[in-house]
Amino acid sequence: MSSRERVQAVIDRVRPLLQADGGDVELVDISGATAKVRFTGNCVGCPSAFVTLHLGLETAVREELPEIERLVLV
Amino acid sequence: MNRKAFSPDAVVVGRSSRMRAVFEFVDVIADSESSVLITGETGTGKELLANLIHHRSGRRAKPFVPVSCAILSETLIEAELFGHERGAFTGALRDRVGRFEMANGGTIFLDDVDDVPLSMQVKLLRVIQTRTIERLGGGQQIPVDVRIITGSKKDLKQMVADGKFREDLYYRLNVIPLSLPPLRERREDIPSLVEHFVKRYAHARSVETKPLSPSVMDAFLRYPWPGNVRELENACERMVQTCSCAHIRTGCVPSSVLFHAKGAVPDAVTPPDGGGDVAAVSLDERLQDVERSLITWALRSAGGNKSRAAELLKVKRSTLGDRIEKLGISA
Repeated sequence: MSSRERVQAVIDRVRPLLQADGGDVELVDISGATAKVRFTGNCVGCPSAFVTLHLGLETAVREELPEIERLVLV
Repeated sequence: MNRKAFSPDAVVVGRSSRMRAVFEFVDVIADSESSVLITGETGTGKELLANLIHHRSGRRAKPFVPVSCAILSETLIEAELFGHERGAFTGALRDRVGRFEMANGGTIFLDDVDDVPLSMQVKLLRVIQTRTIERLGGGQQIPVDVRIITGSKKDLKQMVADGKFREDLYYRLNVIPLSLPPLRERREDIPSLVEHFVKRYAHARSVETKPLSPSVMDAFLRYPWPGNVRELENACERMVQTCSCAHIRTGCVPSSVLFHAKGAVPDAVTPPDGGGDVAAVSLDERLQDVERSLITWALRSAGGNKSRAAELLKVKRSTLGDRIEKLGISA
């Protein structure tokens, strides 16, 4: 599996739950050690959700793909 | 030491058949004077159950004294349980009443009894047999009237077999055995536990109880909860504390729960997609990959317990063993 597919697999773990809640997350791009994702819909703009979703996703991605160092919101 | 007013019915939650059986058993044994040994993983509610037993017993008007035996040194455990006289050791500036004396007439709950060192086990055994204690540095035998409930994270019988726990003490403690199931074995209780804790923490903050979205419950239901009810309680507290809108949604679920990998069944059946080019695929290799990933998943979900992993995969324990060996999986 390519890095992109593996990051996508981590995202897909939570995507159905987010979608059911009127939100979504999309992998925009991977360049070097940075993965760019976009959150949309509900929960965007909530500081707690930012911690949960952004940092949580970053931690989960880094655990499984050591080559990815950062997750950037675009 | 000062414990909050306790109302057991409001705290112990569980409608699963396993928990109902536990509660019914508690009603049967509460009024007996016999020792109870509660075995259960961390966070399953051993102390709550001990407290419940005490409050259903004839000793309810007297103290319930919980004490963890996971204290580092032997002298400390001894001083904690039996008390000491002034000057018994450096720093013992005054007489101190031990937990056994504090619990006189009531119930003592010795948690983490699996952590009590062998040398200390002898002393515990003597107290149980003679129902008298001796303070450190004191020569006087003080009679105590105490019901003893112990809690253990480990299987004490196994510890006896391994020579780490005294057999005679084990039989003294294990007059009435009670085992608390881990949360992953009573998942049907998760929704009512979540509702209970969310309501309780909202009440503690004096705010309205917010509605939970079904996704939140989905995430909670698929997580294995290694820290059991205590971990679930903390997750609920966190959600109530951090949710900044009118509705508790996916974004409020602690990330450790939300992003947990082991809960999700791996999807190994997606056909390989090579874009425009169609490459040959070895069916055997592909099936082995599927097998390997499912077995690894099952072993992880079952915490390394092969019998449980075999149940998850709906195969016999022996079949699983054979496959593990064939695929060279390290369990």
